[in-house]
Amino acid sequence: MIETRDLSVGFGAAQALRSIALTIRPGARIGVVGESGSGKSMLGLSLMGMTPDAARVSGSLTIDGHQMIAAAEDDWRPLRARRVAMIFQEPMAALNPLKRVGDIVAEPLQVHENLGREAAQSRALDLFREVGLPDPEARLRQFPHELSGGQRQRVLIALALACDPDLLIADEPTTALDANVALRVTELLVDLSQQRNMALMFISHDLTAVARATSDLLVLYGGTVVEQGPTDQVLANPRHPYTQGLLAARPRAQALRAGGTRRRLPTIPGTVPPLDLLPAGCRFAGRCPLELPHCAGTIPPMVDGAACHLLVGGAP
Amino acid sequence: MRRLPANLLIGAVLVALVVGFAALSLVWTPHPEGVLNIRGKFAPPSGIYWLGTDQLGRDLVTQLMAGARNSMTVALIAVMLGGSIGTFLGLLASAIGGWIEDLVMRIADISFAFPTLLFAIMLAAVLGPSLQNAVLAIAFINIPVFARVSRAAANQIWTREYVFAARAAGMGRFAISRDHILPNIAAPVIVQATIEFAVAILAEAALSYLGLGAQPPASSWGRMLSEAQTLMYLAPQLALWPGLCIVVAVLGFGLLGDGLRDVTDPRLARQR
Repeated sequence: MIETRDLSVGFGAAQALRSIALTIRPGARIGVVGESGSGKSMLGLSLMGMTPDAARVSGSLTIDGHQMIAAAEDDWRPLRARRVAMIFQEPMAALNPLKRVGDIVAEPLQVHENLGREAAQSRALDLFREVGLPDPEARLRQFPHELSGGQRQRVLIALALACDPDLLIADEPTTALDANVALRVTELLVDLSQQRNMALMFISHDLTAVARATSDLLVLYGGTVVEQGPTDQVLANPRHPYTQGLLAARPRAQALRAGGTRRRLPTIPGTVPPLDLLPAGCRFAGRCPLELPHCAGTIPPMVDGAACHLLVGGAP
Repeated sequence: MRRLPANLLIGAVLVALVVGFAALSLVWTPHPEGVLNIRGKFAPPSGIYWLGTDQLGRDLVTQLMAGARNSMTVALIAVMLGGSIGTFLGLLASAIGGWIEDLVMRIADISFAFPTLLFAIMLAAVLGPSLQNAVLAIAFINIPVFARVSRAAANQIWTREYVFAARAAGMGRFAISRDHILPNIAAPVIVQATIEFAVAILAEAALSYLGLGAQPPASSWGRMLSEAQTLMYLAPQLALWPGLCIVVAVLGFGLLGDGLRDVTDPRLARQR
């Protein structure tokens, strides 16, 4: 089990993450959505102890009860791949072009499990089967450029699964894939999570994929959790103005052609300000259509899973 | 396929010529090595002695071939030795970073302040004149060169996403250096090795010329030059041929190294 309390990540005066409280139980499937720069990836990295050197990480982060907040690289290393593993957005960039994919997957097994080359290769073969790579024996000997985008992502998933992690962090795993392949990779991640009772953190800005893949949802804005709860509930009945805006900005075929004329896609006005210019109170102040005078100055409390001043006192 | 640059082709031909010449001496020379024929000294080129004989009546072609072999051997061992130590240090500096990286690189910088050949001569003089010490001296001057090249290349590779992915898979700095960094810096290191090969040949010739390298009766282009120097007016061809061999070998490896760099470095390719 992985728990964070008041987890913050700062760079100088700027805060990339502020007071994240999160509990990840075995088998949980948690979606993390938000715009670029909302801290989605930073959250994933901080759970692996892989924040940039310049980052100041504070608060509490426990993995199986061990406090990891100030842990050194050497303390993190045994946990990576075994407790927490990660897959990336660009499968081509995440694979060494000069190495056979079988070797790439076998390496952590040799390092962590002390397996010999042969044993590691045969485990890699099993993993290739599990992630549904076609013709897995032949794949072992191939180089990344010989595989398709979807196959490369499956190789990365196999690499991440190699040491049987408790949590798999998928950082925009389908962004670089075409829609059909993305769908199947998403399904694979859900299946693997259920079969292995492995927690899945699905970081994405594709709300459709998140709805399909996850049971719980975390909406991030400006490094804070603005809303969290069961995925279908949050998507069906968003309570925070930001989540409402995010959902309204989703392209839908019917809505676009309402009344026979094409309608402009609604957007959230403005852009995410740079980290060091975010308001001290509610991060969404300044872009929020329902902003109250005190929103920018005071941190909103979390009311039933949504952090918004409007919800204080029970009046939504 | 793209056309190969001219320097690569010319360099490859010259290198093949010199290496072939050296390799041939292992199995065949026109005359047995080191056989004197005092009565036949300073013989002009003929069917028996293709380039004539030297002041001791030794066949010049045989001498040049043996010299090529010695020169290649010295350069190969020295570059491999210095190159592996230097590359190892560069990888280590890049993997550890911090003050250790600074320390290694500043020491390398200091060693660059000394002219390469002068430094090798000083080392060989301190260690004593012998071929082994010449090899050690040339290897030593190669260490900072390779440390710098490999560390610069390694620092670039460390920023790649697949290195990040390897870290996320729980691999340590040294395992990543070995399995991911080293294969990806091979190209610039090999290019550098080819160029340093030319430098090593020149250094070996210079050391032998000064009597700090190959000792008699071993053949060496540098030593042939120094012996021919006193006989310049009597038999200028004795200085001409080993000099020409040095030029061809150094030029060949230099061009080959430049050509390989042009082919392997995409930044240079775009400028053309």
